[in-house]
Amino acid sequence: MTHFLALVTFGLLVSVAFAVLSSEHTTAAERFRYGLKVFSYFVGLGLIVAWVLFPLPL
Amino acid sequence: MSNQLPVPASTGRTAAACVAAFILPGLGHILLGRWVRGLLLGVAISLLFVIGLLMEGHLFKPEKEWLTWFFSLLDAGLGLPYFVCFFADWGFQVTPEQAAKVTFEYGNNFLCVAGALNMLAAMDAYDIGIGRKA
Repeated sequence: MTHFLALVTFGLLVSVAFAVLSSEHTTAAERFRYGLKVFSYFVGLGLIVAWVLFPLPL
Repeated sequence: MSNQLPVPASTGRTAAACVAAFILPGLGHILLGRWVRGLLLGVAISLLFVIGLLMEGHLFKPEKEWLTWFFSLLDAGLGLPYFVCFFADWGFQVTPEQAAKVTFEYGNNFLCVAGALNMLAAMDAYDIGIGRKA
């Protein structure tokens, strides 16, 4: 499994759970949009952090 | 938007839902009639658990080092699946080959997050049961 696939799998499963557990979103459409937003944050921020860390000699 | 307040379940049903959430992820919501939410939670949390083990992550049990207590608490949030593994001594072993794998730490995180989310799911079932949430 690649790092990216692990990130996408993790982001997908956790954003599904967050969308279901959210108390601020009541309708299915609102929950779906919220889940999509959380998922895009996971993947987007993960890629940004990876890009920032890439040149560092870790 | 509807101004109707959610109808609380009986105390017994609420307690049963909280216990059920720790028997199988999502079962608490299903007991309260939230089938779709229960199934989604069950699938998401179970997959995190299974994929975590397949990635060769390991479950924690409390040892001398204090951080193991924290990770054990998170893992134990899974409820019955954790304790089945605990008493069968399955999923707790760490070999040097396993720890050297790229997916090892990912697997540990998948397992800890699965437990943490299941605790949140149990609290959510309680909120639904007492009528704080629809």
